[in-house]
Amino acid sequence: MGLASISTASEGIQFCIFDLRRGQNEGQELDKILFFFPADLPFSTQLSVIGLSEGLITFTRIFSPEAACEVIEAERHSHVFYEAEADIWMVMVVEKSKEAEAIWRIEDLRKVLKEVHSLFVMFYGPVRAMLEKEPNGGLIRSHLYPFIMDYLSAYQKRSPWDNCCWDFLVGKKLQLPSFRDCLKERGNVQMLTVGREAAIEVQSLVRILESCVGNTQCYSLILFQDLLVSTTLSPVDTINLFTYAVQRLTPHALSSGASSWSYLRRASTSSHAGSGSTLAHSGSVSEQIYHSSDFSPSGDNNNHVTRPLQHGKWSKGNDGFLVTDIWGVDAGSSMIASPTVWLQQTEERMYLCTYQYKGLTLILLMPVSSILNGEQGVSVVKQQVLENASLKILKVEEKLSKGWGGENAYHVGGYRYLLVDGDRNISRASPPGKVTTLTKESLLAMSKLREEVDLEKGRAKWDNAGLEKDLEVCIRAKNNAWVIARITRGKELYMVLEKANETLLYASDAFEKFSSRYCNGAFSLD
Amino acid sequence: MSGKASSSQPSIGLGGSGALSHVYIQYPPLHCSIPGLRGLHYDDGNRLLISSTSDQIFSWKTVPFDPLVTPTCDSVSEGPILRIRFSLDAKLIAVQRSSTEIEFYNRETKETFFQRCRSESENILGFFWTDCPLCDIVIVKTSGLDLFAYNSVSKSLDLVETRKSNVSWYVYTHESRLVLLASGMQCRTFTGFQLSSAGMIRLPKFEMAMAKPEVNSKPVLDAEDVYIVTVYGRIYCLQVDRVAMLLHSYRFYRDAVVQQGSLPIYSSKIAVSVVDNVLLVHQVNAKVVILYDIFADSRVPVSAPLPLLLRGFPRSYSSSRFRESENSEVNNTGESVIYGDNWTFLVPDLICDISNKRSWKIHLDLEAISASSSEVPSVLEFLQRRKLETYKAKQLCLGIVRTVILERRPVSVVARAIDVLVTSYSHSIKTGSYFKGLKNEKTSPSNVPNVNSPVSSTDVSTSRIDGLGKSIRHESAAGIDNESLNRSSTFSASESEDISSFEPKTNSNDLQLGGCKADRASLSGADSANEVHRSSLKYQLPGSSDSSINANIAEQQDSQLTSPAISPDEMYRFVFASVEEEMVGDPSYLVSIIVEFLRSANLEKIKIHPSLYVLTVQLLSRYERYAELGLFIINKILEPSKEVALQLLESGRQSIQTRKLGLDMLRQLSLHQDYVLLLVQDGYYREALRYAWKHKVTTVRPSLFLEATFASNDSQHLAAVLRFFSDFIPDFHNTADFNSYYRVLNEMKSSIAA
Repeated sequence: MGLASISTASEGIQFCIFDLRRGQNEGQELDKILFFFPADLPFSTQLSVIGLSEGLITFTRIFSPEAACEVIEAERHSHVFYEAEADIWMVMVVEKSKEAEAIWRIEDLRKVLKEVHSLFVMFYGPVRAMLEKEPNGGLIRSHLYPFIMDYLSAYQKRSPWDNCCWDFLVGKKLQLPSFRDCLKERGNVQMLTVGREAAIEVQSLVRILESCVGNTQCYSLILFQDLLVSTTLSPVDTINLFTYAVQRLTPHALSSGASSWSYLRRASTSSHAGSGSTLAHSGSVSEQIYHSSDFSPSGDNNNHVTRPLQHGKWSKGNDGFLVTDIWGVDAGSSMIASPTVWLQQTEERMYLCTYQYKGLTLILLMPVSSILNGEQGVSVVKQQVLENASLKILKVEEKLSKGWGGENAYHVGGYRYLLVDGDRNISRASPPGKVTTLTKESLLAMSKLREEVDLEKGRAKWDNAGLEKDLEVCIRAKNNAWVIARITRGKELYMVLEKANETLLYASDAFEKFSSRYCNGAFSLD
Repeated sequence: MSGKASSSQPSIGLGGSGALSHVYIQYPPLHCSIPGLRGLHYDDGNRLLISSTSDQIFSWKTVPFDPLVTPTCDSVSEGPILRIRFSLDAKLIAVQRSSTEIEFYNRETKETFFQRCRSESENILGFFWTDCPLCDIVIVKTSGLDLFAYNSVSKSLDLVETRKSNVSWYVYTHESRLVLLASGMQCRTFTGFQLSSAGMIRLPKFEMAMAKPEVNSKPVLDAEDVYIVTVYGRIYCLQVDRVAMLLHSYRFYRDAVVQQGSLPIYSSKIAVSVVDNVLLVHQVNAKVVILYDIFADSRVPVSAPLPLLLRGFPRSYSSSRFRESENSEVNNTGESVIYGDNWTFLVPDLICDISNKRSWKIHLDLEAISASSSEVPSVLEFLQRRKLETYKAKQLCLGIVRTVILERRPVSVVARAIDVLVTSYSHSIKTGSYFKGLKNEKTSPSNVPNVNSPVSSTDVSTSRIDGLGKSIRHESAAGIDNESLNRSSTFSASESEDISSFEPKTNSNDLQLGGCKADRASLSGADSANEVHRSSLKYQLPGSSDSSINANIAEQQDSQLTSPAISPDEMYRFVFASVEEEMVGDPSYLVSIIVEFLRSANLEKIKIHPSLYVLTVQLLSRYERYAELGLFIINKILEPSKEVALQLLESGRQSIQTRKLGLDMLRQLSLHQDYVLLLVQDGYYREALRYAWKHKVTTVRPSLFLEATFASNDSQHLAAVLRFFSDFIPDFHNTADFNSYYRVLNEMKSSIAA
């Protein structure tokens, strides 16, 4: 029964990770496969998907050794490629459905691949490193599988006012980001805009927080609600940790708890719990498959695989610090083990220490290597935080919540927009609740426009390395909405103006006004 | 130590001395050594030391304190001198001849007249000149106060008002303008009047506390046990309770006298001085002095009791030795013993050695005081409140902050220290004392702060001297002219004294006590008098400071600063920039400190000089903390300025994001020309051209655009740019630029064609 349900669940999408350096000899092809979804597909099918992908990669490399193929559009499928690490490829094959909802942007899908890999690296380090640690591949497989399944199944809604679903597994199908997400940008952080005084207080808090660890170089991330306030991490680590925090650690993520952890879109199914169990079941079945398969690892490793994306595992302790048993129990002190993450910037493993006060979430990262006595050392730091920073935290929380405009704070009347600062990896968009008021036509037009812009950006990157291209597109959509995109020196602004005047002058004026008022005139070049 | 002492003029500004002490007197003293002198009087209204021969009186100015000051001389008739005071305009000299008679001399006309008691039953206890608008002189008699105005026409005193009251004895200081009349069996019931330029205020009657040694005995309070003390512009009365061994303090408000608590004493003989608003309680028998800074109504001593030190005594043996052993040799050479029996303490900060006819000025050793405490914020607060040695206080503050940063003390500690300095600067800006100091720098090289210190003495001390004293004579001196100025401009002096810069805090205390307003008003009266006094001397003294041998560098620099407040610019130059050079390694600690400074300055709404921002950009980018740098810029923690923008561009060589921040900042600051130039430089010539067109930037040479376009090797672009300039710059066709690039364009075209 389980098998039957899985086969239907996986209809239309395949997702695999493979290593080109493995399984090059005949008969050992299975060795290449590090992950395959759906796991219950016969190996022959899995191998044929991977074989095709490998062939395409090899072929395209002839022409473009640096960047092999990014996407293959077949008649019924799209193949999205992402080279996560050297020779480690992630490929997603999606079926082109006749259903209108199944219209997506390739770049958005690739960002999903990128995100899942980045998160994986944040918790376990690079895939390649794990392969080198255990060349038979059992270790990496036993980590990748539950991790990605957790990622796919439990991809949580981004924010309380987010009505658009980020869920990937809806009902029996993996629900991919669609054109409805055209005014969103994955792999970015959303920031809270703060005044100078609050910003100084925040920085002051950051310094106090980091000084609690002593003289060791450590890092911190501060969020207010689901928005980033401060970071001392490198951009890539910031994005990863922010993504994780918004999914699992922020007050909203905690409070939404088990009930809205559902990967199911409420509207699409009534058998909420049932489907959940289906997935859980499918997971266990898949694991059985992995275990029973001949490239399964020695077994005991499996018991210790942490599943940081597991949902409902975090809760707020009495002292204000967030606790989870995901990382198991510390052998030495028999305390619950502190979470750890691996930073790409410093290539160092860090303890992850999260404190929450009302809407404020503070994440402190300290090197595992420099904290003596393990868990005891961590609790000493926590004590320091409580002693030295409590007052400041209160003050900052008060300042920020006073200045916060609520969930629709960044709504600009009449506009539906997405603003991306590629240099800083920051994006800001109309609140999802407002975006949903757009007609399907507008959204489709914007999605299409973004697809074009993505292509143009990709081309510019290769043509003209070093210089960034400016780009401006203004389209009158079928439903008489203006759909506008402009790129200026690394910053992108997309907007939809519905029910607007028909002249181009009007559209351009409206754009200009927005640019000068909300973007410091960054887009007002002429 | 002995090395120090052997140098005849050890600088006050340097090092201090090795001996443990917080208060010192500086050798040489002021010698009142003219043969035949009898007695020594102190006129606190004019701050003159006065002594007399049989028919002459000599007066020495004690402000500024100069051991080599030459006395002025006036002739008087022979006779006993009980008390002597110059009028505040220095035109008249009043000499009390007996308990019923005061003789007045006009120094210009040499005329004299007498003022006598009307009835035989009353005695004159004393008198003082006043700047109260009602009258010129107040005579205190056993029957009360008589207020007289000087009638220059009739050359006599006109009685203005009489206040009847039984008076046993009285105390008065000119700096407080307050007279306290003691009455009652125990002499502990007091009536007070303040006669300031704002008029006369009668204070409510009050009693002083006295412990009883036995059930039925009633000790009588002596005039010597009551001190009027002026600190931070507030008036206190200190009263020695010999039985309880306590020094009670009372604070005066217009309509209330409030007991403020008591200080313990460790000696049956006590003396009180005030140096730079610090209260010095000399435990005479114990030969130590205890310092109190009663700014915040704290009764905790500033530091442990330590001896008074004689500095700069030109002998091989140290002053500390000679303090310990009451050496006969010392006495033979005429030097006084520290806390000798013949010492008299003159309010506020003079010591008079009557038998040797010399006087000393008491100094605080700020360096020693600041070194004696490890509580950095409170030490800084103490130093920031100092008005006399402002330069040294300031240098000490800077040094302390530098040290705590270099020692990497916890950020919270440094933050509190910085808060103290920033708050103090903010106060000094609000009250204008900081800028006043800067102005003085240019206008007056004189020893202003000395003058600035409150003017005063008590009749108590005068009366002590009286027994020994005899009469004098004098000539016109600088001080006399001062007084005329002083007098005339008293009412126009609206600028409040620096002291009041801290007033807001005390004011809130006052409110609880109810009588604050009046107190403040009356104080500002007194203060403004001080202020005028000071400013008048400013004009007076430029030359005289040269003659002062005590004026070493530190003192001269003191004289240029009226406040030890440290501006943000100085914080940058003397703290941040200087520690940055010395600190090695990760700059995050220093950045933390800068953030705390910015926080503090922001709270006080103080403007920060861009150079500190530039330094912060350098620190963050040097260690590649670009993410943080971005936050600092975007959130305007580092406020936009051209300097910051240029530094971002400079630091952005390694980080394109940072460079863009700099460019954006230029654009937001509307520095169009710089922005256009940089765009061209980066190869964005078309964007630059559009921007230049929009913002009417005409100062960038067309050839720059053309060069950049040519470098891109795109003939279409080159043609477009050429066309642009041809269309919008008149006569561009005729320029060399046009011609050369036109030729280039043709070559490019033909090469394509070929």
